[in-house]
Amino acid sequence: MEQFDVAIIGGGSAGLSALKKLSDLNKSAILIEAGNGIGTKNVSGGILYSKNDSQGKIYNVEDVFGSDFSANAPVERLIKRYLLHATSKNKIFTIDMTRLHDYKTNFAYSVLLNRLTPWFAELATESAERHGGGIVTGVHVSDIQWIDNKTIVSTNELEEFEVKSIIAADGINSEVAQITSARGKFTPEEVYFGVKVIIKLPEKIIEERFHLDSSEGSAHLFAGDVTLNHIGGGFLYTNRETLSLGAVYHYNSLLSNPVTPTQLIDELIKNPLISEYIKDEVTLRNGNDGLSKEDQLKIHLGVSKLLKTYNELRDKYFSSNNTKLVESGKFKNLDEVKSKIDSIKHDLNEKFGIQFVNNYVELEYSAKLIPDGKRCMMKRPYFKNILFIGDAAGRGIFIGPKIEGLNVGIDDAVRASIAISRSIESNNFDSDYLGNYYESLVNESPYTREMNSIDENYLNLFLESVEDIPMGVIDPSLSFGLQFIKNKFLRGICLRLANSFGSRRVLPLIESEKTYVQIPIRLANKLGDTVHSTFVPSIPTLADRIANLQYDDDSESHIIVNNKKSEFMRKLILLCPTKCYSLEGNDVVLQHEGCVECGSCSIGTIWKHPKGEKGIKYRYG
Amino acid sequence: MKQDLLNVAVIIKLEPDFSEGNVSYNSDGTLNRAETKNILGPHSAVACNAAFYCKVRYGAHVSVGTMGPPIAESALKQAQILSDAEELNLYSDRMFAGADTLATAEVLKNGVEKMFGGNKSDIVFSGHRASDGETGQTGPQTAWKLGYTFLGNVIDFEIDLDRKAVVAKRMISLQGMDTIIEEIESPLPVFITIDPSYKSNFNTVSQRLTANNFGKEARKHSESSGQYLKVYDGKKLELDPRMVGLPGSPTIVYKVEKIPRAKANRKAEIVDPSNPDNLAQVTEKITEISRG
Ligand SMILES: Cc1cc2nc3c(=O)[nH]c(=O)nc-3n(C[C@H](O)[C@H](O)[C@H](O)COP(=O)(O)OP(=O)(O)OC[C@H]3O[C@@H](n4cnc5c(N)ncnc54)[C@H](O)[C@@H]3O)c2cc1C
Ligand code: SF4
Repeated sequence: MEQFDVAIIGGGSAGLSALKKLSDLNKSAILIEAGNGIGTKNVSGGILYSKNDSQGKIYNVEDVFGSDFSANAPVERLIKRYLLHATSKNKIFTIDMTRLHDYKTNFAYSVLLNRLTPWFAELATESAERHGGGIVTGVHVSDIQWIDNKTIVSTNELEEFEVKSIIAADGINSEVAQITSARGKFTPEEVYFGVKVIIKLPEKIIEERFHLDSSEGSAHLFAGDVTLNHIGGGFLYTNRETLSLGAVYHYNSLLSNPVTPTQLIDELIKNPLISEYIKDEVTLRNGNDGLSKEDQLKIHLGVSKLLKTYNELRDKYFSSNNTKLVESGKFKNLDEVKSKIDSIKHDLNEKFGIQFVNNYVELEYSAKLIPDGKRCMMKRPYFKNILFIGDAAGRGIFIGPKIEGLNVGIDDAVRASIAISRSIESNNFDSDYLGNYYESLVNESPYTREMNSIDENYLNLFLESVEDIPMGVIDPSLSFGLQFIKNKFLRGICLRLANSFGSRRVLPLIESEKTYVQIPIRLANKLGDTVHSTFVPSIPTLADRIANLQYDDDSESHIIVNNKKSEFMRKLILLCPTKCYSLEGNDVVLQHEGCVECGSCSIGTIWKHPKGEKGIKYRYG
Repeated sequence: MKQDLLNVAVIIKLEPDFSEGNVSYNSDGTLNRAETKNILGPHSAVACNAAFYCKVRYGAHVSVGTMGPPIAESALKQAQILSDAEELNLYSDRMFAGADTLATAEVLKNGVEKMFGGNKSDIVFSGHRASDGETGQTGPQTAWKLGYTFLGNVIDFEIDLDRKAVVAKRMISLQGMDTIIEEIESPLPVFITIDPSYKSNFNTVSQRLTANNFGKEARKHSESSGQYLKVYDGKKLELDPRMVGLPGSPTIVYKVEKIPRAKANRKAEIVDPSNPDNLAQVTEKITEISRG
């Protein structure tokens, strides 16, 4: 049987960081990832933060992947502005939260995981190969056993192998946690549900529309009526030539008021501010019903080629390196490119009846659960010789407008690598030695503190961002509390009390429909500006969205429903993002083929990830 | 070149890309070769995968060869990405034009014999057949000319380096009979045509890691594929002009006929799904049919 010092299970941002760090510590490690290639299973919003904290060391992405991270990594845009929009129909009230966002932040980039994590993998592999390690993709870990003091890993694809230690980086729906019973499944109270679409928009249009300099970006959050009365909100992040538009809601709040995830996304798209943000000129083909089949085909072929040329040229024209078109010698200047685009447009319209209309272009639909660390982080993030990191350990910061999981997973990965490296050096993998040490390192992390208590300075900054808002506008029942909180002295006492009781106790007060829905609606109604949309977006159906996704179907289902009649499973008929559940008689039945592996049904099912290379294959993530 | 290593040759073919959006047809419905993109044929690609497997599992040396015009160099480059070949060989000469399978086999035989600095190949892989009108005879004929044992339709194989033998699984499907899988053993050297269903089975972590390393190396090598390329004309291959090209081809193409379109023996009725009344009709029809 083959033997290895360390196996990292899961090649998301956390697992890859662990491989890089361990290899840089001159240790040999292998990483096993189920997806068909790195980056195909991972979803984020997402903004990747680098942070600092005066009270403790934070291990950031640049500590792992090099100080020239900003210059070399395939990141999207450096986030410079951070705005919260309170919405009520076509009334929008915007609060600038940039200072809050900048708090303890070195930098923050919008990222697409299927662009970023393959780059992580490249660097991690380079380091790992020097020590005989590396990455194996398309392999699904199915079991871990301890036999005669040996740790044996089984997979669906390869022969069993033996390891001295394991880093479980297998995400929120960690099977390693279930196999070992290291923790229970996360309950709906402990997680958020995220759904997202990637929208195509040319680079220069993004910069002009969002008032951005080249390579800079902005982040927009939405609360109010767009939440359809749920706790959470929407987000829109600018990428280089796409937008990430999504929503995150407390899963409990969705269970008590179920709607389909597409409704949550569609509600955002229909908001006039957002529809104006995502608007693009798109082509509309005319039916050629009156013509013969042959003529229809001729037109189809002719149009396809011309449309392709048109779209390619337009994308290049609106990209930051549009000067290449001139440098290549094909065009004298950019004006000439523009006239060429206009002339093709004219031809398309005149000869083939193609129309040019305002709409928007969706590229990918995705969904995933997100751990709310303050509610569900593992108190002891280890089991025997296995260390849990990132989402698998339930670690992530979810406070008000803050969603941070990527950076937390990277910090965990470094701490786990340090602990394992020490174990390899002393050849001691006992949980008292390895696990306890890892736990102490994790407890030293400023992120753990942030998950355990409310940060007074952060709250101060939040209140400063909203201090110009007249209190009378806000719900009278809350304004007393807010006045109280606004008083610095009283606030200090309150926070210390709350933190000593455990901040978890006060969560229902902070995370309520009042704060995420009612107050924003009141703010928008009383103080907001009216925004009009210049078009009605034609939103793809769920069927269209699924048809646009790539899957490698497994004939065997990776999910088995426990109780086909349970109340919970009935709610999944609405809540499953790809409508995998339906009612047959009194039974809830599953059709696993469209599953995007979000994990929302996990608590009511025997839930596994699909076998190696099977299942969803995200292109953006 | 070390003698004790396994020498694996692959013979490949540049073919038109039949995937959507890449094929052009003339107005009479025949293939427009000039306008159609050319790629490494899909069957050849599978043969390259088999050679790559030998490299990862047995540390084999790989050499790829093809007969074709100078543009076939692009197919060799693609083959190098798949197989991490150390040698790329292009057999190109005007005198090869008009070759049938036998004349092609003559060129390939001499080509294979020139690989590995003139050392013998232990295995020669070729695709099952080409997708542009080839009859699947080139492989067997080359094997015959080389004097190698021929194994066709191979779906899986292992090599016993000590005994210098191959154990191969062949899939045999004959019309009207059950498909059978035959396991046979043969001493090397062998000529294998690999079945399209072949999939390299790297089933340990180390094998996967080695495969990754070689894969990466292959991509790097292919960036300067020219460095690995040797071009041979008829003279260099020491070919008898009477045995190659048109003079060496006994086949006479008398006539090319388009395959007549099969007559549909099913009747279809188009129903507008937006009208629920029509759907009632459909249910009625289905019930009728299911009753017999
Ligand atoms: C909508 C949304 C918005 C978000 N926004 C942000 C944001 O703005 N900023 C931020 O920092 N965070 C954000 N997050 C959270 C962040 O994306 C996650 O915390 C992070 O991606 C988790 O990384 P991970 O490596 O721990 O897990 P994952 O990325 O889930 O990786 C786990 C990997 O393990 C593999 N795997 C699982 N089981 C097995 C097995 N048995 N065998 C082999 N492989 C296996 C999976 O295929 C997967 O690749 C957001 C999340 C969502 C869903
Ligand atoms: S079946 Fe379950 S895991 Fe799959 S998409 Fe639906 S809710 Fe998510």
